[in-house]
Amino acid sequence: MSRTTRRRIALSLAVVVAASTAAACGSSSSGGSSGSAGGSGTYTVWDPYPQFDGSSDWAKLLDSCGTRAGVKIKRTAFDTTDLTNKTLLAAQQGNPPDVLVVDNPVVSTLADAGVLTSTAENKIDTSQVEPNLLAAGQLGGKSYGIPIGANTLALYYNKDILKAAGVAPASITDWASLTAALAKVKAAGKKGITFSAIGTEEGSFQFLPWFWGAGAQLTDLASARAVSAVTLWKDWLKKGYAPNSVINNTQTTSWQEFATGQYAFAENGTWQLANAKKAGFGYGTIAIPAASGGTAPAPTGGEFVTVPTQKDTGRYSTSDAIVSCLTDAKNLLATDTTLSYVAPTTAVQDQQVAADPALKVWVQAVHAAKGRTSDNLGTKYPKISEQLWDAVQAALTGSKSPKDALSAAQSAAR
Amino acid sequence: MNTTAQMPDASAAPGGDGPAKPRRDPAGTGRGTPRRPRSPQWAAWGFLAPVVAYLGLFYAYPLYRNIDLSLRDYTVRSFVQGGAPFTGLGNYRTVFRDPTFAPALEHTVVFTAVSLLFQYAAGLALAVFFSQHFRLSTTLRALFLVPWLLPLIVSASTWSWMLNSDSGIVNSTLGWAGIGPVNWLTSPSWSLASVIIANIWIGIPFNLVLLHSGLQAIPATLYEAAALDGANAWQRFWKVTFPLLRPVSAVTLLLGLVYTLKVFDIIWIMTKGGPSDSSTTFATWSYRLGFGTLLPQFGPGAAVGNILVVIALAFGLVYIRAQRKQMSS
Amino acid sequence: MSAHSHVGTRPPAVVPRWTRKRQGRRTWWKTAVGLVLTAVMLFPVYWMINVSFTRDQDMRKSPPDLFPTHGTLHGYRLVLDQQLPYLGTSRAIGLGTVAVTVVLAAPAGFALAKLRPYAGGVVGFLMLAAQMIPGIIMAMGFYAIYLTLGFLQSVPGLIVADSTLAVPFAVLIFTAFMAGIPGELLQAARTDGAGTIRTFWSIVLPMSRNAIVTVSLFAFLWSWSDFVFASTLDGGGAHEPITLGIYHYIGNNNQEWNAIMATAVVASIPAALILVLAQRYVAAGVAAGAVKD
Repeated sequence: MSRTTRRRIALSLAVVVAASTAAACGSSSSGGSSGSAGGSGTYTVWDPYPQFDGSSDWAKLLDSCGTRAGVKIKRTAFDTTDLTNKTLLAAQQGNPPDVLVVDNPVVSTLADAGVLTSTAENKIDTSQVEPNLLAAGQLGGKSYGIPIGANTLALYYNKDILKAAGVAPASITDWASLTAALAKVKAAGKKGITFSAIGTEEGSFQFLPWFWGAGAQLTDLASARAVSAVTLWKDWLKKGYAPNSVINNTQTTSWQEFATGQYAFAENGTWQLANAKKAGFGYGTIAIPAASGGTAPAPTGGEFVTVPTQKDTGRYSTSDAIVSCLTDAKNLLATDTTLSYVAPTTAVQDQQVAADPALKVWVQAVHAAKGRTSDNLGTKYPKISEQLWDAVQAALTGSKSPKDALSAAQSAAR
Repeated sequence: MNTTAQMPDASAAPGGDGPAKPRRDPAGTGRGTPRRPRSPQWAAWGFLAPVVAYLGLFYAYPLYRNIDLSLRDYTVRSFVQGGAPFTGLGNYRTVFRDPTFAPALEHTVVFTAVSLLFQYAAGLALAVFFSQHFRLSTTLRALFLVPWLLPLIVSASTWSWMLNSDSGIVNSTLGWAGIGPVNWLTSPSWSLASVIIANIWIGIPFNLVLLHSGLQAIPATLYEAAALDGANAWQRFWKVTFPLLRPVSAVTLLLGLVYTLKVFDIIWIMTKGGPSDSSTTFATWSYRLGFGTLLPQFGPGAAVGNILVVIALAFGLVYIRAQRKQMSS
Repeated sequence: MSAHSHVGTRPPAVVPRWTRKRQGRRTWWKTAVGLVLTAVMLFPVYWMINVSFTRDQDMRKSPPDLFPTHGTLHGYRLVLDQQLPYLGTSRAIGLGTVAVTVVLAAPAGFALAKLRPYAGGVVGFLMLAAQMIPGIIMAMGFYAIYLTLGFLQSVPGLIVADSTLAVPFAVLIFTAFMAGIPGELLQAARTDGAGTIRTFWSIVLPMSRNAIVTVSLFAFLWSWSDFVFASTLDGGGAHEPITLGIYHYIGNNNQEWNAIMATAVVASIPAALILVLAQRYVAAGVAAGAVKD
């Protein structure tokens, strides 16, 4: 998932984690009732899908996988931010869940903390998964889970507006043609493009296709290519092609703007497909163009199914059975259809495209996509990302020039 | 907090000395306390023990953890596995040297002072207004509390909705009035003002309720006497209401200060402390360090949180000293 | 400006109805001003209601609609289907929190105000410090303790946690109010042979009605709208408070804002009614108490 979308909400949810309990010395034994110690025949599963209640397909799937593995499943759904924090806390108390479904950029952080078992230990078979998706869950050459589905970003467009402005979607192949299209749309009295540049991970997620599309690297935020990407966004704001509200937009807010029918383009994710069909106007999608043509690599979103470290290593085999069941071809298809994700294996992707040809663009986008924590960035990514969204915000509000903002970001990130 | 306790008695004194001459001077009782035989300590502590046990049980551990976190160099790994090295004040030094420190301090001061001032002034004005009895006065006063029934996530999101640069109701209202759009949440020069406005709105009910209770505790005879002396409504307010309300005002302001210092959800939901840290306060900074990114920095986050606790305690001491002085004078 | 005659013999904690006689036709303009002020204050609440009825495609319409002209009941349909049982849980938690808070704080306030315990000042100061601990830190502490005790996802556990929002505040308030009770009254009771407990129960508590009401009100409101403790300690439990209902509409990529706002509206209606009724009762109760004296 795009991960952060809900972070703004989540926040108020409070979270918790960290701070307190820290303790190293802290109580570890397994006396608790909510963790894995709930009884040998009960396995706990935590997931970030609070929108699915007990009667949902997802909950039923978990139950049936439990039955197949011969155990009872106790499932708890948390908000994403909450989930990361609670996992850390529960691990500290020696009471983590048996199976954890977690947002992909968090995997390397949790793995680094020793909370997750590698696939070498838990024997989960990841051979069918596309390598670029698997990479988001790898750290130091080991894999720490298996993706349950993937999503990424592309440009949605409003057919009516483009037609009225005389823009052919196929003509948009690079930044110059995109900017030209925005100019035409504005001249036709409509609004150009909306995206999310909020000061959270969500903002970085949305900026990365442009950043990578310019040929910039996360290891060098201050490069001329990086500056050109920030400048692109800044100029859009300055010329009125993008609304000022993008600085505080979440991806949901940005989508709501597009859904008014007043915007020609919106950068958004696979998960909006269902909403797009409800929008009441014709829409299409194109891949996000790179600076000088071609498709820009977008970041991968989506969750990983992982197996947290247990004191009783005998539990892994049952956990593996549950995970294998969740990620077998038939169940992946069902789950990814519900979540509006692209499946992580080519076999299931083919089935998805066969069922809905419109997914083809998205499958291609997922092929071109890149994990944020890939390139062995791992736990360095969060720090870089924070500086990146800060720099984008500073440039868009005009408090710093793109070059100054990125130079400051680069020196703070190292 | 004996001093606090005595405060209402002590400050009732001006009323007693004034023209009102109620039959019994409420202040006299306060003055009489030294002569009163001390209750046996076991009785006093018997009444106090449950709450002290409660404090120890539920507050001591989190507070201890927060201090421990701020004194060690925690990584995510050592948070889970243990063994974080003790670094003394290292995290505090890191925080002081951080370029965010100065702006965060400034924003914290401005946010707190401006919020308090307006919340208190509005709360007092409304309390005085609603303590007059007119049709619907109690119902309307009750309705003023409705904002409190909403989870902060909802009220803060609603504000963020209304203040949106492009589709917000505030900007379209300004537009009808011929004023250009203001980038409430997305401009570094307005974001702090926006979160202050929302925070004042949220704080008014609190001030209204406390000050209204305080108003009710003022004996009517004082107003009666003041009116007989020819004081008009304005004079009655400044000569009777305001001085007699001082103890309640002090508690209200102190609590308001404590609550305002730790406000973070409103700011976080509306602006995330941005853009470019322009609405970052210590509370949001602490949250951002500890929870706002994918890689938590527990140590510095806890250090910032503890700085806030110290600031609040400093004000608490000032308050207690002021009370003492007032009593002895 | 005549006041009720009882005032002089009452401790200060009595409502002076000093304007009552003037009530009547001459106050209609005050009602008007009151209505306007209330309308301004509640505008954001109205806006929340407006959003709760808004269709997805109109959420960010520019300029926004002042009324949900193309309203949808989608959000309410979801909420009424899924959320009503949670209201009872919220009420139970709210009342439980009020009880815990008053039971703990009233005696402490009495002790601090009137009994002058050793180190009372220190306790009062700790009370202040306690309130400064960020909610998240508190919630995390509770989470760790409850995890070990197996107390997670239980209503009593949540009541105890929610009470920490109100107890220090309540002690301060009780202390300030009870300090205003005349010492002679207590002394007279003692002369009559009443012990400390009896004095507290039959004299101090009844005279602190105002403080009890204020404290109860805050305790109830805080626990009713609490989200932090609920989501940390009760998430996924069998009995969840209504604020957690919001989770149903926070998908992992998308938020259904009309349903989120509808949840908040549905959650606040019963509480708002209680509030209005309580205020009337309180006003009447205080007046009655005054006459009795």
